Amino acid sequence: MGERGRNMKRALALAFALIVVVAVAVFAGRTQSASAKPEADSLVGTGSTFVFPLVSKWIPAVDNALGIKVTYTGTGSGTGIAQVTARSVDFGASDAPLSPDQASACKSCVVIPWGLAGMSIPYNVPGLNGRLRLSGPVLANIFLGNITNWNSAAIKALNPGRNLPDKKITVVYRADSSGSTYAVTGYLSEVSPQWKSKVGQGTSVNFPVGTGARGSSGVAGVVKSTEGAITYVDAAYSITNHLQFATIKNRAGGYATPGVRGVTAAVSTLPKKITNIAQLKIVDPPTRAGKMAYPISTFTYVIVPTSSSKAGDLRKFIYWAVTQGQKFGPPLFFVPLPTSVKGFTYREIKKIQGT
Amino acid sequence: MTTTTFEPAAPETDLRRRGIRLGDLFFRGIAVAAALAATVLLGLIAWKVFDLARPAFQDFGLSFVWTEAWNPVTNDFGALIFIYGTVVTSLIALVLATPLSIAIALFLTEMAPRRVAGPIATMVELLAAIPSVVLGLWGILVFGPWVRDHLEPWLQSVLGFLPMFSGDPNQAGILPAALVLTIMIIPITSAICRELFLRVPRDLIDGSLALGSTRWEAIRGVMFAYAAPGIAAAVLLGLGRAFGEAIAVNQTIGNHSVIPSSWFAPGDSLGSKIASSYAGATSHLEASSLLYLAAILMVISLIANVSAQFIVVRFERARRGL
Repeated sequence: MGERGRNMKRALALAFALIVVVAVAVFAGRTQSASAKPEADSLVGTGSTFVFPLVSKWIPAVDNALGIKVTYTGTGSGTGIAQVTARSVDFGASDAPLSPDQASACKSCVVIPWGLAGMSIPYNVPGLNGRLRLSGPVLANIFLGNITNWNSAAIKALNPGRNLPDKKITVVYRADSSGSTYAVTGYLSEVSPQWKSKVGQGTSVNFPVGTGARGSSGVAGVVKSTEGAITYVDAAYSITNHLQFATIKNRAGGYATPGVRGVTAAVSTLPKKITNIAQLKIVDPPTRAGKMAYPISTFTYVIVPTSSSKAGDLRKFIYWAVTQGQKFGPPLFFVPLPTSVKGFTYREIKKIQGT
Repeated sequence: MTTTTFEPAAPETDLRRRGIRLGDLFFRGIAVAAALAATVLLGLIAWKVFDLARPAFQDFGLSFVWTEAWNPVTNDFGALIFIYGTVVTSLIALVLATPLSIAIALFLTEMAPRRVAGPIATMVELLAAIPSVVLGLWGILVFGPWVRDHLEPWLQSVLGFLPMFSGDPNQAGILPAALVLTIMIIPITSAICRELFLRVPRDLIDGSLALGSTRWEAIRGVMFAYAAPGIAAAVLLGLGRAFGEAIAVNQTIGNHSVIPSSWFAPGDSLGSKIASSYAGATSHLEASSLLYLAAILMVISLIANVSAQFIVVRFERARRGL
């Protein structure tokens, strides 16, 4: 070896030194760029994929109207809550309000409703002529595993004249934590005492039967490829992806669809003055909501820390979203917020203060 | 190394030698630091996982491990469902992948002409380069429906009397997940087996053939005996990979929090449950319980690794005894 060995060692040492220098330089560069705050008039948010199409429409419009640059990524409600709790974003978006534990972890965050839409019940029943009709109790029994076949008497009774096949029902649900699950389990708890006591409401619950899949696209994919499947997904997703979805019987006895009119009718019975987020209950609306009222709808929320260095921009952006921004909703199957809810949002927006 | 001859040292070479010593020192420092960093990192990760799992541990104790429950609404948590899913899918994958991997390795080293062996070996290894999320997607869109429509009905018609092959065929469940895992671990185990077979001294096989044994007898008696500890280690490495896989399993196992009686039915595994639920955990106890699952997964993987080493040592000793 001799001379060659020495040279080799030198080369090795040099290579290592170089790697260390490069690593240090990269690391230093990284930390520097990470600590560089985004510009003052830009807001960063993440969370709900459900509200993503609506926020995407808002971004250029709010830049035009107010000169506020908003960046939003659809990562899921759970991530939205986690990120705003960690204060790594300016706002988070979630389809379910904060649970008590989440609220205490978020340390004085306000939860403001800024979108409203229906939840559809898509199905894959081969050979069915016409649209499937379901009622709350029947839907609950399907999701509980009490009704297991499409030609069961209970489904037949709601669908006279339809040829329901002798096919096993496959329930498909969201495996990830989801605002859609929160809305649907809220409805099922309302209409079925057995669901309420056995399963309950939550962003993820212990479904008695079925298969889980991730995200709206995940459950929709399983339903498309599985004959006899049934699931829940927001109405916009069903409509844009051409999924067949059921009409649901409301308290007034009508079979309603999750379109803009159905959801508008459902929220018409909310109290005139709303002071608490718990009052925003819109599943299974009372008889006086009418025959059009669709019984499974949900608000989607923006979550903001009450003390933020960008409080002014956040207030302006959210105020714009719940007023001007609502008109972007209907083409995307979002329903404009009713006046009483808007009043509530104004009071909540005021709680966002500078540091 | 070299025999150093001491010639009258010119001042220049002395300096150079000193420079090299400095380089040596530098190199040693980096090597030690890297080794230490890996150890410390492992320790820190393990400590953090166990630390974060502590609230769940205090609440449920050790019985969490054999409790069959997962209900975020009532805050009732247990690990048995997921341990069952992890262990059963991994063991099915192992049982299927081991003979297949050995067969692939034997074909490549013993049977295939060299011109064919090279490309096939590369292809098998490239199988490992498919990201698990892509393999999982393929599992959802292509493989799962095929398993449901063809493989499971056939299994049921042949082995339907066994409880694990009864019930309705499903595109997502224990069996589809296990099959996807099989595909994932074959590249690793077959590549290692191939390496092992190539290293078996040619003289031994030639000797055995010269003594009149058939090809198969030579393979069984000489190659397998020589490579046995390595094969065992390869298999356990594959098992470790199967235990830890989260995403592909998540996409194909069906994410249903029960212990299914049939392998066709959906279940869930440790890695899959952590992947799907951690971001959206609604209570501290749920988040902590998920970390408890992570701790259990770490312990299971550790057991697999330690037993791998134990088996290798045992085999090695047995072989020396021969």
